[in-house]
Amino acid sequence: MMKRICRILSPLMIAALVLGSFSVAAAPIAPSSDLITTQAALNAEHGQADRERIHEILARDEVRDQLVAQGVDLAEVEARVAALSDAEAAQMADQLEQLPAGASAVGALFAVFVILLVTDILGLTNVFPFTR
Amino acid sequence: MRPRRFRHPWNARPAGVLALVLLIVTLAGCASTPRLAETTQDRLPRQLLLDNVPFHAQRDYQCGPASLAMVLNDGGVDVEVDTLIPQVFLPGRDGSVQPEMLATVRRHGRIPFMIDGHLDALLIELAAGHPVVVMQNLSLPAWPMWHYAVAIGFDLDRNELILHSGEEPRRVESFRRFDATWARSDRWAFVALPPGQLPADVRPHRTMTAISDFERLKGAEAALPAWAALAERFPEHGMAQFGLGNARHTSGDAKGAIAAFERAVSAEPELAVVWLNLGLARRGQGDAAAAREALERAAALPGHWQPHARDALESLP
Repeated sequence: MMKRICRILSPLMIAALVLGSFSVAAAPIAPSSDLITTQAALNAEHGQADRERIHEILARDEVRDQLVAQGVDLAEVEARVAALSDAEAAQMADQLEQLPAGASAVGALFAVFVILLVTDILGLTNVFPFTR
Repeated sequence: MRPRRFRHPWNARPAGVLALVLLIVTLAGCASTPRLAETTQDRLPRQLLLDNVPFHAQRDYQCGPASLAMVLNDGGVDVEVDTLIPQVFLPGRDGSVQPEMLATVRRHGRIPFMIDGHLDALLIELAAGHPVVVMQNLSLPAWPMWHYAVAIGFDLDRNELILHSGEEPRRVESFRRFDATWARSDRWAFVALPPGQLPADVRPHRTMTAISDFERLKGAEAALPAWAALAERFPEHGMAQFGLGNARHTSGDAKGAIAAFERAVSAEPELAVVWLNLGLARRGQGDAAAAREALERAAALPGHWQPHARDALESLP
C-alpha cells in the first residue's frame, strides 16, 4: 500500500520541485508592467550576468542549511538569511568556513605564546593586555 | 668519547637566537606608524572622543554582538547585547562573520556603510561623529585572533586611537599597533547610520549598493530618506536620482518619481534604464505621448535595457 502511494507521489513531487525551481530562475527579470528596480539596474550596470544572479538567489538556500548546521536557533534562521544582501549571501554560501569569525580568542600552543609575546612587545600584535 | 656527546646542544643555541632575531627584524620591518595625508590633518581636530557611545563588555567570544550594540545604541536603537547574540553569533564558529554583522545592522533599521581601508577614512568618520566598527586580527596571520571593536576617538599629538574593545572601555592603542592589527583584516570597517545620514566620505556607487541592499530588506519608504540625502549630495549623478525616483514611485509618489527621473536624464542623458523608467512612470500616469517620447530614447540606446524598452513601446496604446 505504502509503496503504491509512493509510486504515485514521487513523480508528482519531482514535477513540483522542478516547476518550483523554474519560477526561482525566472524571478530576477522584472515584470514588464512595473518599473525596473534600483537593484536590477545596479546589477546590470555591474555587468552581472543572469547566471550569477540565479547563483546568488539559490545561495540563500545553502546559507539557510549552513546556519542550521552551525547551531543557529531555528527561529532566527529565516530572519538572518533575509537580512543578507545577495552578494553577502553568495559570499556566505561559497566561503563560510574561510570567513574570519570575530571572537577574540586564540587557539595557540605554548611555543606560539612566546612568539606572540615578543610580537606584542614590538607592537605588532595585541594579544596580551599586560604588554601595553 | 664523553666530551663530544655534550658539545652537540651547545651549537644549536646561537643558531636559534639568530633565527629568532632575524624573524623579529623581518616582522618589525612590516609595521610602522601610518602617516596621515596633510589634507586629512586639516580636516581633523587634534583630539577627539565620542564619549556618548555606550560601552558593552563582551562575554566569551561575543565581541561581535557587543560592538553592534554599542553603535546601534549610539544611533538611537534600543537593543541589548542579549537580543543581538542569537541574531549574529554563529555557535559553530564561536564567533560572528562580517556579512552577518552588516546584515544585523540592517535588521535594526540602520544602514551599514563600509568605509575606505585606511586610517584617514576612519578618523574622518570619527570627526563626523560616527563611531566605527573595525575588525582586527590581534594575533599573527598564522594563529589568528579575530576581534571586533568600536573606534570612538583619537589623539593626533600622541598618535593614538581610542576604542571600546573587548572588556575594556576607552582602550588606547597606538596608531602603529592598531594599524598592524587592522591591516590583517584588510582594514575592514563600517559605520551604521540612520537612513538620511551619509558617511563623511561618500563613494556614490558603493553607497547606492548599501542603500539598495537596505531597501530590499526594509522597503522603499524606509530607504527614501537615504536616497533623498544621496541625491542631494550628488545632484548631477544620474543613478542617485534614479534610486530616489524608484523609492518615491514605490512609496506612491509618482509625480515626485517622474521629477527625479527627469533630473537624472538631464544630468546623464545616456542612461537607458532611467529613460525606460521615466517612460513607464509617465505611462502609469496616463500620459501616453510623453511616455512614448521617453521610451523611444530608451529604445535608441544599445545595451541591456533595449529589449525591455522596445517591449514597453509596443505595449503603448
